[in-house]
Amino acid sequence: MIYKEEGSIFSIESLNEKVFRLKIFSPNIAQKALPGNFCHLRVNQTYSPLLRRAFSFRKVEKDKNSFELLIKVVGPGTELLSRKNPGEKIDLLAPLGNSFTIPKKNEDMVLLGGGMGIAPLFYLIDFLLKKKYNPEKITLFFGVKKKEELILIEELVSSGIKLHITTEDGSAGYKGLITSLFYQELKEKRVIIKNTKFYACGPNPMLKEVSSISRRLNLNCQISLENHMPCGIGACLGCVVNTVKGYKRVCKDGPVFDAREVILD
Amino acid sequence: MNPDLSVRIDKVKFSNPVLVASGTFGYGEEYGSIFDLNKLGGIITKSITLNPREGHPPPRTCETSAGMLNCIGLANVGIDRFIKEKLPFLRTLKTKVIVNVAGSSVEEYVKVVKRLEGKKVIDLLEINISCPNVKEGGIVFGSNPESAYRCIKAVKENTSFPIIAKLSPNVSDIVEIALAANEAGADAVSLINTLVGMAIDLETKKPRLTNITGGLSGPAIKPVALAMVWKVAQKVKIPIIGIGGIMNYQDAIEFILAGACMIQIGTGNFVDPECSIEIVEGLRKYCRENRIKKIGDLVGKLKTK
Repeated sequence: MIYKEEGSIFSIESLNEKVFRLKIFSPNIAQKALPGNFCHLRVNQTYSPLLRRAFSFRKVEKDKNSFELLIKVVGPGTELLSRKNPGEKIDLLAPLGNSFTIPKKNEDMVLLGGGMGIAPLFYLIDFLLKKKYNPEKITLFFGVKKKEELILIEELVSSGIKLHITTEDGSAGYKGLITSLFYQELKEKRVIIKNTKFYACGPNPMLKEVSSISRRLNLNCQISLENHMPCGIGACLGCVVNTVKGYKRVCKDGPVFDAREVILD
Repeated sequence: MNPDLSVRIDKVKFSNPVLVASGTFGYGEEYGSIFDLNKLGGIITKSITLNPREGHPPPRTCETSAGMLNCIGLANVGIDRFIKEKLPFLRTLKTKVIVNVAGSSVEEYVKVVKRLEGKKVIDLLEINISCPNVKEGGIVFGSNPESAYRCIKAVKENTSFPIIAKLSPNVSDIVEIALAANEAGADAVSLINTLVGMAIDLETKKPRLTNITGGLSGPAIKPVALAMVWKVAQKVKIPIIGIGGIMNYQDAIEFILAGACMIQIGTGNFVDPECSIEIVEGLRKYCRENRIKKIGDLVGKLKTK
């Protein structure tokens, strides 16, 4: 079921120079959204910007009829969103897309979140922990450019999962790319491939590398993709990605795909 | 007073003048999970070609000022799968079904329409002679009156469905093309398809679309579309279906005043998936408030003096 719902902004909070957290009250959507799903929202009621913007759910609180999005200011649309105020209404279309396949009880899970790609992984982790999943079975690689981008890190630290931090400038954790550390851990067998479920979300160059590693080592890896999506529901064919099975719609066939099947460039 | 919103094209009676434009509504199923499709005047499917088409490589879309560009490239399942996989859903609807047909040769158009013959679920065909993104996607036929005539005439001779010729704005005189389609036997014309446009990424110095150029749609093109509908309405006798940046009922009424008896919603579906049915309600309310008994009474009632 897809809901077109007028949500109400509960809170808006700046997390660093560019990123903010939007908490929205929206009963129908909050009851149905799964980890990996996304929300297509209209920035305002004018034609500037014209099209809706897609954001994955970073947290969903069914009991409070609300959900959270993490948004980075990258252009005029997100800039306008960053200036919203609590109490303002917002036009929502959700939940859209497929969702992550949830592992069986206490299988090992390895998650890779690059930059804003951490958003859907927050929800995945929270979803599993609420279902009493053993946090020690979850390993998260969180990679960013500099330590200021390690948004909501306290929440991850206190959750009890295993956490690897990487920064490109070395201001926190391992210095380098998230995929470099990940590959190193795989090579040295600190990350075991057999029976482990892998999940990744992040910028395209990172996902391209994850996809290439997944093919090479046959990882059971799901990646969540991002794209410009005019309709968000599979009608316009504007957001396709190339895969070994031909072009697939990111909004409807995805956004979660098997990393071994996606061909990114 | 309950105003009469019904409209007729040839023998087909629509409950209201609001259609959803080809390429923006898939084969209907997707939007069916959001609202009751039977509230629409009709649904126009994605363009169907003889063989399946993968379409252009991504990126296929980009947003522009009050509009968007696309170069989907007529991606579609092809006529066989369309009949097998998509028609059954359309059969469950009470709204009118219009199948959009595209081709790279007159023979291809004819083959596709012949395959559709006898399918009871279909009410009309829209013949796409105006896709700007694919050389073989119809624009060859839609860009001059002789070839438009040839294509529409061949289709007309091989189908028992009423046909709509969908026209391109990327021509020197759209009225000539509309007249040719009329003469060839089209039962209606729909206009406009998208305008050729382009956008460039300054950082990479690359075009934002893989196909370099694409089709511009959305509110940005509404004034152009409106002018073309008005010009065509001055000369052409068959019904005109207005398309181009219609976002609300006020836009729809502008097109009706300019001479369109029906309208299509395209990009508006993306901005608000319920835009089309809100327009139906808006038209009803407008007619009631302005004591208009029949929406048809408004067609072409532009006051130029």
